[in-house]
Amino acid sequence: MLTKDLLRVSRAGGRYQPRFAEREHRPLAARVIGIYQGHVGESRGALESALEELEREISGAGAASAGATSSGSASTASQRSVDEFKLVRGFAALLDRETTVQTEAPLEPVRARRAAFEAAEAVGGVASEEERAMALVGAGETLDISADDIAASLYADLEDRQIVESVDSRWSPDELLAQYNLSLAQTALFDATEIRVRSSDPKALISAIKRLRLMYEIEKTPAGREVVVTGPTRLFRATRRYGTRFARLLRTVAKTSEWRLEATIDDRGTERTMSLSADDPVSVPDAEPVVDVSFDSGVESDFAARVSAVDLEWDLVREPEALESGTRVMIPDFAFDYRHADFRVYLEIMGFWTPEYVEKKLAQLEQLEDVDMIVAVDESLGVGEEIAARDHRAIPYSGSVRLKDVADVLREFESDLVAESVASLPDEIEPDEDAVALAALAETYGVSEDALSETSYPNHELVGRTLVRPAVLEDLGDEIEGGMDLTDAESALGSYGITDSSAVLSRLGYRVDWEGLSGGTVRER
Amino acid sequence: MTGPESTDASNLRLRYEDGTVRLDGTVSAPLRARLHEASALEFESDPRTGTHRVPAFQYATLRALLERPADTGGNSRESASPGGESDEIASATVDDGVLSLGALSQLESAYTLREYQETALERWLETDPNRTDDDLPPAPRGVLELPTGSGKTVIGLKAIERLSKPTLIVVPTIDLLEQWERELEAEFDAPIGRFGGGEQRLEAITVSTYDSAYLKADSVGDRFGLVVFDEVHHLGGEGYRDIARLLAAPARLGLTATFERPDDAHEAVADLVGPLVHSIDVDELAGEHLAPYDVKRLEVSLTDEEREEYERNQSIFTDYLASSNIRMQSGSDYQELVKRSGTDAAAREALLARQRAREITRSSDAKIRALESILDENRDERIIVFTASNDLAYEVSERFLIPTITHRTGTEERREILERFREGTYSRVVTSNVLDEGVDVPDASVAVVLSGSGSEREFTQRLGRVLRPKDDGGRALLYEVVSQETSEERVADRRR
Repeated sequence: MLTKDLLRVSRAGGRYQPRFAEREHRPLAARVIGIYQGHVGESRGALESALEELEREISGAGAASAGATSSGSASTASQRSVDEFKLVRGFAALLDRETTVQTEAPLEPVRARRAAFEAAEAVGGVASEEERAMALVGAGETLDISADDIAASLYADLEDRQIVESVDSRWSPDELLAQYNLSLAQTALFDATEIRVRSSDPKALISAIKRLRLMYEIEKTPAGREVVVTGPTRLFRATRRYGTRFARLLRTVAKTSEWRLEATIDDRGTERTMSLSADDPVSVPDAEPVVDVSFDSGVESDFAARVSAVDLEWDLVREPEALESGTRVMIPDFAFDYRHADFRVYLEIMGFWTPEYVEKKLAQLEQLEDVDMIVAVDESLGVGEEIAARDHRAIPYSGSVRLKDVADVLREFESDLVAESVASLPDEIEPDEDAVALAALAETYGVSEDALSETSYPNHELVGRTLVRPAVLEDLGDEIEGGMDLTDAESALGSYGITDSSAVLSRLGYRVDWEGLSGGTVRER
Repeated sequence: MTGPESTDASNLRLRYEDGTVRLDGTVSAPLRARLHEASALEFESDPRTGTHRVPAFQYATLRALLERPADTGGNSRESASPGGESDEIASATVDDGVLSLGALSQLESAYTLREYQETALERWLETDPNRTDDDLPPAPRGVLELPTGSGKTVIGLKAIERLSKPTLIVVPTIDLLEQWERELEAEFDAPIGRFGGGEQRLEAITVSTYDSAYLKADSVGDRFGLVVFDEVHHLGGEGYRDIARLLAAPARLGLTATFERPDDAHEAVADLVGPLVHSIDVDELAGEHLAPYDVKRLEVSLTDEEREEYERNQSIFTDYLASSNIRMQSGSDYQELVKRSGTDAAAREALLARQRAREITRSSDAKIRALESILDENRDERIIVFTASNDLAYEVSERFLIPTITHRTGTEERREILERFREGTYSRVVTSNVLDEGVDVPDASVAVVLSGSGSEREFTQRLGRVLRPKDDGGRALLYEVVSQETSEERVADRRR
């Protein structure tokens, strides 16, 4: 992002459009990069003068071309040269971030100053040049260095006198243009009071909105779903307070392939509209630093953390896709995907809502889309039980959502799902393998292991969680004997594809004498 | 279940959320109507969350309306409302969790107020509508107008002590931040938090710059029962107004030397902090607290080289004015030029040329020589040199080995220099305009103004800082050094 004084926008035709850098500006970008690289080892002040020189040159060129044209078209020409000097400053601002400067002085400047000021007092105050020299000598004596070194160190830490140490820019002129254009668009958003976004990745968008502590509504328009982004106090008046957050949001928006953003701009009291889209030269050149998924409320983040610590038969999905609801759309906080079937349950954690609102929301969902929904409701209103009694999909909570309550509801779904999948299974299963783990079999049939417990296996015996042909068990009985090393026994089992060795060994009448942590000897019981 | 209209009681929960107060729960129809009608309340329903909200700064007004239905939030048209209605509203149970104030014991300070200070503080305390109501938080609101040097900080400290609520103090400069921090630490037995100058530390009593407060307000807006705005006229700026809007603190105190602003922004301040409740006239304090002083004016000329450079730049500027239709007769002409310079390269060049011309007059060699003789003639005095630019401040510092404080001076060094000046280790200090507002620079007997900007307010505030008699009882002395035959002279004339 740039500072606002470097903003270049066109207000032609009542619009508000950033004046992006074009291909023709590539040589200018290259020159600015060159100036930076050429000033490594020189003072910041010298770098600054070189930039000013370039700026003047551009302004001069602009003014000259404006002067050369006849009066009739002068305004067009000067329009063209308009604020090009800001490009230099804009490029420089971006390169500054990649530049390190350092104070180079014989003595730490703060110490040099203190010594010099004290010495000046000691000589009764400096007025003449002679007194100054005396004071510097005195200061040098107390620190045992030369007066010249004191003088050279005195203000070596002033910004202008610091030395450019390195310019780390990896940017080519084209990349600098891209970086500039993104920054320019972001800067234009500083004065936005509201933005409306259509994006091919609404999940990432919503997630970023929450992370930035913004608020959103989703509206269905003929052109598709539109996310209207505002901040809490937007309710009372248009405010530019959230502009910098909108600017940060643009990074998320512009990363997708298809997007369109319309911003309401407060342009010094005049309301204007800015439209940006994937057609503009706005892209996100760098991969964004990895950021953890974050949540807009403590209740939600706390919940996500606890779910991830528990072994459920469900996968937690954060920020699932939008659900239609009339002309509005809602995006629930979470969804749970059942691991063994194509089945999804949504979970919305509501803070403190009115009972009417909860009811309306449930009714809406029930009516408009065929989804399964769990709603966790803050019980402090005292309506939780009432809602729970009406509909098993509501869970009351206070403080934090109890995982157990959610798991209980999920289990209800689970038992339904298990029953369904059992119904879809044959009564008897005859696997081809000599030995096969139940887990593998469940995967083959796309059911949970529990669902397989009702099935019979005429050709196999269930040992632990593995199905084994009786003949294999017999062979194994012959191969394995007491006193055998565990590793050997395990490799015998492994040759039949059996990994659950302890259950099978036990079935064959052996136990293991453990030695150390892994090794052991097989013994008869 | 029953619909909302048939519930006979309102169950309301109030919570602070990102600069707003959220009303959760059933808002009965009559109550909703009442809140909508209250003129002092921006009560809105929020479709994004299915709740209602008011801006945080109206929290006290909202509480008063819920608690005392007869109050209409500054509007008396409902004073004859039927009894039945207020009965119903009285039955509303309000769970108010808006403020989450940290623990703070009763504060004690050693200061005793002078009579005029005590009067000012009392006027402010009297504005509290909840003075006799223990259920509601104290909510005095208002601005005190006090001249520089009359002890604004002390009145602020006393206000904090009287209320003994967690307090946010908002100040315009790092120097004031440090000064308040020092005073608060000395007076109160409590840790003092700080937002600004690279630190972000929240405590029950916290001092913040306006800039930091703007950034932090919506995340800490529920932590304070009192907010003190020092130099409250800054709050008139459009962006800074948000600070006051996003805080829920019911008690608000504004301190300033000049309440009225030419752009009428003080009306916004009155809305957000409270009206001007008391004003002390400079004359009331004259003699007692402000020292008399003499002014010496030194005119210096530019060297030939400087003169040439000055003329060259000045003509770029005047040529541009001649070719455009700007006459530079008023502030708005200047504004117009600045505005054009944003898009017009020639206007920008003209503006830069003018800056260079001014720079030359500000830092002319002759001024350095004039300062040399002033320093030579006043060897036993405590001297503060004011410059209008950082560059000149550094030039003076480097040439005369005088410690300097500018915007860029680091916190640590700034503190050290002020302390050493205060205790006498240093007898001279040079500063660019960072000391303009409110910072106590103790006991200088000579001030030197090198190229003041001419704005009256800056001038008087600078003087207010150095008006201390000399050790021998002699009158304080102000030197004003201006360049001959330049626009600077006209600026100096304007002051007289």
